[in-house]
Amino acid sequence: MNRKRIIHIAIFFVLVILASSCNKYLDLKPQDGIVRQEYWKTKEQVQAAVAGCYASLLADPANKDKPLSEYLFMWGELRADMVAPGPGISNDEMDITEVNILSTNKMTNWAAVYRTINYCNTVIDFAPGVMDNDNTLTKAQLNSWLSEAYALRGLMYFYLVRSFRDVPLKLKSTSSDNDLEQLAKSSADTVLAQVVKDLQTADSNAVTTYGNTVYDKGRITRFTVKAIEADVYLWMDKYNECVAACDYIINSGKFGLIAGNSGWFNTLYYKGNSNESIFEFQYDAQKLNSFYAMFNTSKLRYFSSATVLEDIYTVDFVNYLNRDIRADGSAVRAGDNLIWKFLGVNSDDMRASDASFAHWFVYRYADILLMKAEALNQIGGRGQEALDLVTTIRNRAHALDQTNTNPDPANKDALGEFILAERAREFAFEGKRWYDLLRNAKRNNYARLDLLINAVIKAVPASLQVSAQGKYRDPTHSSHYFPIYYYEIQSDPNLIQNPFYK
Amino acid sequence: MKHIFSGLLYSILFSPLLFSVHAFAQDATLIIRGKIVDKKDKSPVQHVSVAEVDADGRIVRGVTTDIDGNFALKITDPKNKVSFSYIGYKTITENIKGRSTININLEQAGGNLGEVIIISGKKTDNGNLAIADRNLTIAASKINAKDLEEMSSASIDQALQGRLSGVDITASSGDPGAGMSIRIRGTSSINAGTNPLIVVDGMPYETSIPSDFNFGTADDQGYAQLLNIAPSDIKEIVVLKDAAATAMWGSRAANGVLIITTKRGVIGRPVLTYTVRGVVSFQPKPIPLLNGKQYSNLIPEEVMNRTGTPLNTLTVKEFAYDPNDPYYYYNYGQNTDWLAAVTQTGFVQDHNLSMTGGGEKARYFASVGYFNQQGTTIGTGLTRINTRINLDYIVSERIKFRTDIAYTYTSNPRGYSPDPKKSEYEIRNVALNKMPNMSIYEYNEQGIMTPNYFSPASNIQGQYPVTYNPVAMAKTAMNKIIGNRVTPHFNLQYDIIPHVLIATGDVQFDINNNKNNTFLPQIATGRPTTETVVNRAYDGDVDVFNVQTKTNLVFTPTMPANHSLTSLLSVQTYDNKSVSNQALTSNTASSLLQDPSAPSRTQNPELNVGAGYAQTRTVGALINAQYGYKERYILNVGLRGDGNSKFGPASRYGLFPSVSARWRISDESFLKSAKFINDLSVRVSYGQAGNPPKDDYTFYNQYSSFGWSYGGLAAVYPSSMELSHLKWEVIHGQNLGLNLIMFHNKVNIDLEVYRNRTKDLLFKDLKIPTFNGYSAVNFMNVGTLDNQGWELNILTSPLRTDNWAVDFNFNISHNENIIREISPYYANKDGDATTNGSYLTFLQINNPFGSIYGYKFKGVYKDKDATLATDGVGKPIIDANGQGIYMRFNYPATDYLFQPGDAKYEDINHDGNIDYKDVVYLGNSNPKLTGGFGPTITYKGRLKLSGFFNFRTSYVVVNGTKISTTNMYGFNNQSTAVLRRWRNPGDVTDIPRAIWNGGYNWLGSDRYVEDASFLRFRTATLRYNLSSQMLKKLKIKSGSVYFTAENLVTFTKYTGQDPEVAPRGVTGPFTVVKDNSTTPPVISFTLGLTASF
Repeated sequence: MNRKRIIHIAIFFVLVILASSCNKYLDLKPQDGIVRQEYWKTKEQVQAAVAGCYASLLADPANKDKPLSEYLFMWGELRADMVAPGPGISNDEMDITEVNILSTNKMTNWAAVYRTINYCNTVIDFAPGVMDNDNTLTKAQLNSWLSEAYALRGLMYFYLVRSFRDVPLKLKSTSSDNDLEQLAKSSADTVLAQVVKDLQTADSNAVTTYGNTVYDKGRITRFTVKAIEADVYLWMDKYNECVAACDYIINSGKFGLIAGNSGWFNTLYYKGNSNESIFEFQYDAQKLNSFYAMFNTSKLRYFSSATVLEDIYTVDFVNYLNRDIRADGSAVRAGDNLIWKFLGVNSDDMRASDASFAHWFVYRYADILLMKAEALNQIGGRGQEALDLVTTIRNRAHALDQTNTNPDPANKDALGEFILAERAREFAFEGKRWYDLLRNAKRNNYARLDLLINAVIKAVPASLQVSAQGKYRDPTHSSHYFPIYYYEIQSDPNLIQNPFYK
Repeated sequence: MKHIFSGLLYSILFSPLLFSVHAFAQDATLIIRGKIVDKKDKSPVQHVSVAEVDADGRIVRGVTTDIDGNFALKITDPKNKVSFSYIGYKTITENIKGRSTININLEQAGGNLGEVIIISGKKTDNGNLAIADRNLTIAASKINAKDLEEMSSASIDQALQGRLSGVDITASSGDPGAGMSIRIRGTSSINAGTNPLIVVDGMPYETSIPSDFNFGTADDQGYAQLLNIAPSDIKEIVVLKDAAATAMWGSRAANGVLIITTKRGVIGRPVLTYTVRGVVSFQPKPIPLLNGKQYSNLIPEEVMNRTGTPLNTLTVKEFAYDPNDPYYYYNYGQNTDWLAAVTQTGFVQDHNLSMTGGGEKARYFASVGYFNQQGTTIGTGLTRINTRINLDYIVSERIKFRTDIAYTYTSNPRGYSPDPKKSEYEIRNVALNKMPNMSIYEYNEQGIMTPNYFSPASNIQGQYPVTYNPVAMAKTAMNKIIGNRVTPHFNLQYDIIPHVLIATGDVQFDINNNKNNTFLPQIATGRPTTETVVNRAYDGDVDVFNVQTKTNLVFTPTMPANHSLTSLLSVQTYDNKSVSNQALTSNTASSLLQDPSAPSRTQNPELNVGAGYAQTRTVGALINAQYGYKERYILNVGLRGDGNSKFGPASRYGLFPSVSARWRISDESFLKSAKFINDLSVRVSYGQAGNPPKDDYTFYNQYSSFGWSYGGLAAVYPSSMELSHLKWEVIHGQNLGLNLIMFHNKVNIDLEVYRNRTKDLLFKDLKIPTFNGYSAVNFMNVGTLDNQGWELNILTSPLRTDNWAVDFNFNISHNENIIREISPYYANKDGDATTNGSYLTFLQINNPFGSIYGYKFKGVYKDKDATLATDGVGKPIIDANGQGIYMRFNYPATDYLFQPGDAKYEDINHDGNIDYKDVVYLGNSNPKLTGGFGPTITYKGRLKLSGFFNFRTSYVVVNGTKISTTNMYGFNNQSTAVLRRWRNPGDVTDIPRAIWNGGYNWLGSDRYVEDASFLRFRTATLRYNLSSQMLKKLKIKSGSVYFTAENLVTFTKYTGQDPEVAPRGVTGPFTVVKDNSTTPPVISFTLGLTASF
């Protein structure tokens, strides 16, 4: 064989290797994941993505962050006056209860909320495109799914506004590095306007029932949208709109209060998804919540504050059988001040650790009634209507006379305080107390700042009283909101820290 | 895709065979007969191989002689030759010349043969081409494995520490099997992939373990994969440093290349070599800690200072010391030295048996080794069994085969760690922190010691995983990694045109299996059996299948005198697939059921069964040519193209050129007269290398399923964003080198100055504001980073007489990292001035990395008056009412009033408030100089004494151990330094008061920032080679014994355990090099023996 031929063959082989489409060889796809290019083709995929938005309410899918419900509990309760620190409390949590919050406090990390917002944004951005690929997907079905995403996004931003005031508004999904943004904060008003807009979009398309109790209570229905609207309008001091939203729910006739008998606790809190419920995070046996560890183990993080039984519910020392059904054995266990609401099967028996699937309650019918009462009181001239609503709630719960201040229906302040106190009894540890206090305090240009100051007096140890009260009297009222977590400030030069924490 | 591979494979393996098929197609007509006799005594010789060989020296057909020495051989081609060979005789090759009878007198070999010494210039192999050292245009340094064989290390990287300039190797801990971090010329990438490429016998060697795998999480850990190469099999290591050199290896070589060559067979009688080493090692003395009594004094005082009330010993019985309660009195009334209780003497035995030899046609090197180490911490160790066979077969002068097969088994018991990412949970750290008044073994209610470990479910210090009984953990828990690795490597060389055009084909398979078993028994945690940390069993398995090919064409045309040219065309492919699966369960019925397959609980979220799969492919093509004129002007140019599956189609391919040159000034006429100069050359090089991100599939927007459903609905979420802008990180390397050899090669100086500019710097897990839905971007090209420095290497042989030889080697280098440009997403500050123990670091454009900022520590406020704020001239600051103002911390957000006994920080701006405005520069943790030196003295070639020192100068380290052992903040045990703490007003001391979970006594300040410059006497070896008389007596070929001592002395002002803190710190602009000493380098003594037969 001559040399030339050999060389030619050798070169030929090399060329063959080079030419044999490298690109195909290098084109690898993950085998254990799905990529966007292959997703968003069928309506089942839309369904799964919408379910993903809800599933993220239960916990972080990557298991690196605390569950969202834990943040909602901490944000709603730690700054208020109903929770006391347990042996397992972290320094960061302790700092919040002591009004010593710095921007390095991990509990002020809002990532869990924005994670869910991004999932909603993803559905909003990509679900409409599925219409082109799947002919069986109807416009109405698509809109119903979209309304769930819009409403959930609205709810999430509403939590952010109440906790941080001004926050960045991201309305597009982050699906590639092109979508990364370094946003500045939007004012609370802008964010609330967007929340209202989202809710209105959702309102017109949401279903009234999915034909299944779990879905009706665990997913967004038109009633859920109305409930969020009512809350948002109340926060925005738009009382007539709030009343209208509440009335829609009341007039639907689909909800009612669970009778205050012996099965009350078990039906409402242990089983969940009761007739009274409007929206609950659906923990179940395959996805447990983190409340058992938070409220029960030897390293429990929170007790009920001693004042809850003594002052908020009070005790009838003459007749022990005469008691508020929401007190001992419901919100609290009297003997050891355990936060019972998420631990109990009924007023006596505790859940097993593998049955820690108490739902997280976002809205209940009782909330609608009390929100309406609060709005009616503020509208003025409808105080008696408001008082009647509060009485309905009190009667169901056999509230003690000691807690009845018998306010004059025309006295906005007195009735307002009465409603606020009733809310504390009704929604103890449901993550609402701080927002209730702040909403009432900030009304009419902080006319009732004393509500916050009084809460501080109850919750903060004596040695820190002076500095804590001083912080709440901050003239810009920025101290009532959390600082932006330092991580955000470091990674986004456009983000300006809450002025109080600068 | 697969067929391309197999096609490639077949073409490499069989193409040369195809070319030569025609050679067999001729008729056989001639038969040759003959008789073979011994030349001396004319006796017939049996079993002689008689073979027909063709022009290329290839055996066509062969027979052997019978008992009378007769043979008959059928000849295929009368033009061929006949060869006669037999062991112990010289081989004779005869032309046939038409004869049909050939009788041969064979002459005995041996005795008559003189020793042949072959002198040729040393060559350096870049893995593809061997180029004479004197003609190298690139920066490379080389070490002969012989220099390292006396050390106690299990893997070659440990032994290399400090030996080569610009190569920084540090261990992540002193435990057996601990990974090493290898940095060649510092870090030119802050991408997580900063380890150099390892090339073994011309083929890249994978050293990483998939990151989703449990024990592979820490990058440095995975690096212990180098353990799979037995140091005794290694002949030589070459480090390629500049970009022009590494350009040869493309994208994976951006961080430098370490080329390892293993030993091969040589022609000669079989030589059997046995080496044995025994090592004994000791843990250095730890920092002195409080004993039980002293600790029991401290804690109540600490709590009292916070709460204002004494610690109630009725409820906290740990400090009651009440003889009426024998259970607590004895269990919490001891003086236990927990560190000593988990420490043992380390032993190593290392045996290695190798055989080498071969003839004209075939050569072999075979070795088998056994290594067994017991670590200095109880429960740690390493066992390795390794075998290797390197075969060379010369089919003909034009076709050569090489087959290397290596197999390694490693078993590495490590201490169980509750969370491998958290060093504070490691056994030694827990032992360091553990309350010393506690007993190791439990005393019963009568105060009698039982054989059970004392593992209470929890006590004042906390519970598992923060604290546990470290002795119980070390002795009963299991964490074992078992590795099996087989690497068959086939190589075929075909000289298409002998000496001019040579083709080689390589294919290497690498099957790497690692298994990790852990088990956490109840007694180690003490927790109730309902919890998932009880009897927790883990089994993880990862299999990596790696196929690599390399096809080279080397063209060396015959050139006119004075000109030389060598060119190379190389095509390389790489396919790496890893499959992993793991299971974690808990609450097996008994501590004896240690496998997750036993019935156990899987329900909780942290317990799971998982599987992973990842695949990476790359292709690369390289053209390189080296041209020389009179060996005086040498130029090397290359161009490499790379394709990588980690990129999307848009930026999948990259082209990276390189050029380098050498000018031998000493050959110029104007220097000819300077006779003392043997060589003086200047080298310059420029090269680019591309670096891909570490992770696969990042260019996809991936969706994943939730681990749970929502109300029965399956749920999906976007788990990672699509990285559409990702592109190659390109390192532009520049190097200027000088080689000077003087005085008959007695002085050899290498000087290198370099700058590697990394453009489109890849950054892993870049923080982004979380309102984007993610807290970090997997990878992003963020800016430009410079990595620059210089190196000086001096090798001298000042004395060389008949009896004495003295060598002295010295290397020194400096390296620094500077950010030139950076993306706005990149944070410019890290750390926090308001949290205890945290230092501030800033990203400063055009300033080197490693600067630490913090407060100035000024001692302790001795009383209330001392906490009065003063202005610049020392006068008290007074408020509107004329009252003095007391010092505050971080007003208004924190607003803490300093108390007597608190740490005093310098109020730089004299505003009576200690806050971030009082933070100042405290030092830099990048060493100014690093290097090593050592002499070797040989007497009569038989007695050899060598020593080696290494050093680092002018750098500071945050003494993390000092922080944790003097902060008196929690219930951890503290060092004896806290005995001089502030206790009463008026006390003047440098240790603040104890205060539980309060105060600001250990803010990041210069109190913990220490100068860690050091000079370490790393090794000293005395070796004795047996004399020839002795060898004859013992009937062995060669033999030697040696004794080595390691880590004998370290000269340093640093007060921590070990100043040689891994620079893995300096991987980004914000890293503060912090010493949280785990197992410091042990002091060890080695006795070794080598004998060849």
